[in-house]
Amino acid sequence: MAALNRLPPPYGLLLNRDNDITFSFENRDYTGFNGDTIASALAANDQWMISRSFKYHRPRGVLTMAGQDANTLVQLPSDPNILADCENITEGQIVMAQNYSGKFEKDRGAWIAPFAKFLPVGFYYKSFFKPKGIWEKWAPMIRKRTGLGVIDPDFQPEYYDKQYKFYDVVVVGGGPAGMAAALQAAQSGAEVLLADENPILGGSLNYARIDVRSEYAENIRKKMIGDIEAHNNIDVMVNAICNGWFADNWLPIIKGRRLYKVRAKEIIMCVGSLEQQAVFHNNDLPGIMMSSAAQRLIHLYGVRPGKAAVVLTGNTEGYALALDLLDVGIDVKAVIELRESVPQDNDIVKEVMARGVPVKPGHAVFEARKSKNKQHLAAVEIRKIMEEGVCAGSGEIIECDLLCMAVGYTPTYQLICQAGGQLSYDDATAMFTLTNMPKSFQIAGSVNGAWNLDSVFAEARRAAIIACNALGKKAQTVPDPIIDHADISPNFRWPIFPHPKGKEFVDFDEDLQVADIINATRDGYEHIQLVKRYSTCGMGPSQGRHSALATARLVAKATNKTVAQTGVTTARPPFAPERLGHNAGRSFYPAQRSSMHYRHLEAGAQMLQAGAWYRPAYYGPKGSKSESVHAEVLNVRNNVGIVDVSTLGGIEVRGPDAGEFLNRFYTFAFTRQPVGRARYALLTNEAGVIIDDGVACRISQDHYYVTATTGGVSRVFQNMLQWNAQWNLDVDFANVTTAWCGINIAGPNARIVLQKLCHDIDLSAEAFPYMGVREAMVADIPARLIRVGFVGELGFEIHVPQHCGEALWDTLLAAGKDQGIRPFGIEAQRVMRLEKGHIIISQDTDAMSTPMEVQMGWAVSRKKPFFVGGRTLAELEKNPLSRALVGFVANDIEAPIPLECHLVLDGEKMTGRVTSCEMSPTLNKPIGLAYVVPEKAEVGSQIDIRSTGGLLVTAEVVDLPFYDPENQRQEL
Amino acid sequence: MSMQSTEQFSPVQYQRRSQLYRRHIATGAAFKAVANILTVDAYSKTIEEVQKASHLGLADLSTHPRLGFKGSGALSWLNQQKLQLPENPNQAVQQAKGSLIARLSQEEFLILNDLDMASLTAEKLEARYSLDSTDGVYLLPRNDSHCWLALTGIQAPDCLAKLCGIDMRVDKFANGEIAQTSLARVNAIILRYDLGVTPCFYILSDVSLTEFLWDGLLDSMQEFQGVPIGISALKKLSQDI
Repeated sequence: MAALNRLPPPYGLLLNRDNDITFSFENRDYTGFNGDTIASALAANDQWMISRSFKYHRPRGVLTMAGQDANTLVQLPSDPNILADCENITEGQIVMAQNYSGKFEKDRGAWIAPFAKFLPVGFYYKSFFKPKGIWEKWAPMIRKRTGLGVIDPDFQPEYYDKQYKFYDVVVVGGGPAGMAAALQAAQSGAEVLLADENPILGGSLNYARIDVRSEYAENIRKKMIGDIEAHNNIDVMVNAICNGWFADNWLPIIKGRRLYKVRAKEIIMCVGSLEQQAVFHNNDLPGIMMSSAAQRLIHLYGVRPGKAAVVLTGNTEGYALALDLLDVGIDVKAVIELRESVPQDNDIVKEVMARGVPVKPGHAVFEARKSKNKQHLAAVEIRKIMEEGVCAGSGEIIECDLLCMAVGYTPTYQLICQAGGQLSYDDATAMFTLTNMPKSFQIAGSVNGAWNLDSVFAEARRAAIIACNALGKKAQTVPDPIIDHADISPNFRWPIFPHPKGKEFVDFDEDLQVADIINATRDGYEHIQLVKRYSTCGMGPSQGRHSALATARLVAKATNKTVAQTGVTTARPPFAPERLGHNAGRSFYPAQRSSMHYRHLEAGAQMLQAGAWYRPAYYGPKGSKSESVHAEVLNVRNNVGIVDVSTLGGIEVRGPDAGEFLNRFYTFAFTRQPVGRARYALLTNEAGVIIDDGVACRISQDHYYVTATTGGVSRVFQNMLQWNAQWNLDVDFANVTTAWCGINIAGPNARIVLQKLCHDIDLSAEAFPYMGVREAMVADIPARLIRVGFVGELGFEIHVPQHCGEALWDTLLAAGKDQGIRPFGIEAQRVMRLEKGHIIISQDTDAMSTPMEVQMGWAVSRKKPFFVGGRTLAELEKNPLSRALVGFVANDIEAPIPLECHLVLDGEKMTGRVTSCEMSPTLNKPIGLAYVVPEKAEVGSQIDIRSTGGLLVTAEVVDLPFYDPENQRQEL
Repeated sequence: MSMQSTEQFSPVQYQRRSQLYRRHIATGAAFKAVANILTVDAYSKTIEEVQKASHLGLADLSTHPRLGFKGSGALSWLNQQKLQLPENPNQAVQQAKGSLIARLSQEEFLILNDLDMASLTAEKLEARYSLDSTDGVYLLPRNDSHCWLALTGIQAPDCLAKLCGIDMRVDKFANGEIAQTSLARVNAIILRYDLGVTPCFYILSDVSLTEFLWDGLLDSMQEFQGVPIGISALKKLSQDI
């Protein structure tokens, strides 16, 4: 059965009537057609109240039918704040209204509306600030009453992504101006994108009446769309909203679940204008809508917007609408003409009068009256206008269920102002105007004040010619600019009529009335930006699209300024609501993996992330950390283990000055370092603060291979480049971190295992001593071997080409099978390095740590003429230390083990902190490193550590290292 | 082409293994070995795969030889090796036997072996190079520092447009052109060198990010029905002039 208000074809340009679509609104089923929005389908079924207002819970319905207002925000199961006049219906869709308590039809929250005068602007600021803490009690109650929809905490994220696009010319807006500009630019040889937020091109040509017979718009629309579709140079994106303008003509255009990042050499904004409401008592009732909304309902959706209508107008478009209403059988009770006289020379006006519609010049709608159920328009009271904003004392009641407002527009200035365009106000036309366009950016059409269709086309083509000339396309003579005459401005100067009972809404989003705006200025907030913040005007979902002009007019009048001086608030991106998904796009979280990654997983490793790297923490079931680490440590101490150290930084430093460079860069001396030897490399910054460490391996006379920490290598590499930009030494740097895969084989049996695989060098302690460096073949893989002992055992760090890493790992495990070799993870490595007293940069050091503080003065050469940080360290060494990093043992193994960052206390005073602490499997008691005051640094000193739960743990300062102080094990 | 089973050529029998080999096996890849280098030959019949590759395909060439040189003497030294070098940075030139030499800056070059591995350009250059006897020339281990992927087909620019901010449409990003840019948030060298008439973009990025990039590209390719392809399809396309 056809819906009550459904019009037959050809009305309903967007509809496909082949199948009914059933959906529910407020638990009641409705049917519509494919192409219907929620709002149009409800309107077709005579359901006009779609939601309730934010503050007073007033009934709200269709206002713009263009997604430009907050009246139609509805709730979908997983989506709050959906614009019902933009969202298409789908089969089985469940739609609920928003902002009501109890029942939608009988909202318990509506009780507050009569008390509006007790809730003036700034009410919250004035009422809820004392006594202290009261806001915390009020906030949940207020929040419950207001709010905009409900989120679904169980919502599963959906797939969103992004795509770049590049064009010579991007035309935003597919109305008559946009289509003309796109065609002209394409014909001039430009690659053009024509983007429009609506489902089809055409803009106002799809619904507006240009001529008496209502033929011209349709004919020209069809022809232009046909020409565009036939042109290879034009890409069309519909249902695509340009949501901002950013530097260098970067446009975010949202279509579906994709954000297009569009680069345009030239932009032509043909974004049209936004129709404005008149301001009078109860102007927010369902049944009161913009004239363009009524035309959209009729022509786009085939919906009759009412039965008995009044048209309030200040321009000729109101008369065109009246003809549309008459054509679909609506009884047009009157045209209320705000102007003092009716234009006599206009064919459309003549036709309206010829069809017997009463016209009331010099009149206004003084108030709208509610239906019996208070949810729809029932009548309007019209009164004669006595002076600006003042009506006569009495008037005439006209019963109607539809009031259409045609009182003027604002240009859609938001994107243009973001680009640097300047918004001004022209008193002659009572319109905002836009000037000061940036380079490669133009505007055309009604947004530029062109209202005559011929002017719109001419201006759009002119903009396209300018753009194409700038692009170096076919050079064409630029026509003179078109200036529409002020006398055809569609804006009535003052469509604002305060009412003794108020409720003349300026901002529908926030339920702000005329008095609220004026009172804001009286409270001292005269600047438009302050009015916005104080009153919240323009801060709602529609972002001032319908309140900016009226607010500017009211503030100007209240502060004795011009509208031009008053201006509007800043319109920042996004232009329209956008989802977090659009901003996030696809989730790109780069994850770095070594070649042995899957071997770790196969061996049961629990992985941790160090920066972007995945590293094996320990091998064993989740929750077995303590036992697994214990076993891994003991296996290394007593036998042999391997650990993946591929994440370790690696930098090739090559060239005749390589040694000199390192000598200047690191704290130690390197120029006389023998080939085939590694040397500890401690890096400080100019302030003498430790920032990284590693070893420098001299591969040949002019070639060092320097390691760095996993997290620090990029910074070290950058520092190298930066310093040598000053020193200009003959040296080259290459960050080869991931080119090499590193495996450390450690433990007293390490040599035995390695000897099975490495036959071309002598691995004996004499031939290949501690801190030796060799190049050799290991398992037929070319390798660099470094004898280092981070874990304090006989060890060889084997670096091989990254793609050979897994093969080496497999071979080492196979070769060591008889020795009981097993992999160990980062956690075991950390325990063993602590037992050996080795620090980890940025864990045991901070932004103030110097080598002397961490007992590493031995790593600083005092004989070198220069190194980075050297002068500062020399000065610091003249003064006593203010703190020292010391080793400690907690002898009470029953006490909770201190954790990193637990405080060292002297009575109540904080004197230091723990940087590392682990249960030592070797020593069988907690050991750690801590910063303490110098007087507590003596071996044997007792320090108090506030451990877990606030318990004080007493620890004893001991000499470092904790394990093998004679270094006999690592030098085996 | 007769399909070869993974049992015949198992990646774990080789020292050099792509970080993607498990994914290749899981996708039904047949491997092919040439001179100790194992690559994916194909995932399906070559004739089908060529069609897919000409539309949108992604191949893993990470085990194929490549290397780099940089330094003040690099240009001169490479000239001495009688190679044809690009005149300007961010250009690549194909050598007579099919290998590519890409110039990444005034003083940095990248050498990619030909798909047939007939030229052995990278191996020969590496053998001739010695730090001690070559002033101002420094070898870069591109073989291992970077993965090497090939994105092929007419949809490749559209696929890249979802991941990269450079306009890589075929009429904007010329054959032989190079972009050193960000791809899916990671640094990458993207080199266009078509295979016959089929657009082909070689992508080199940090080897530790190989899986991340592979997965990201495949995800981006889904929209265009892109699939992984083997080296046989690439070779076939390169013959299609």
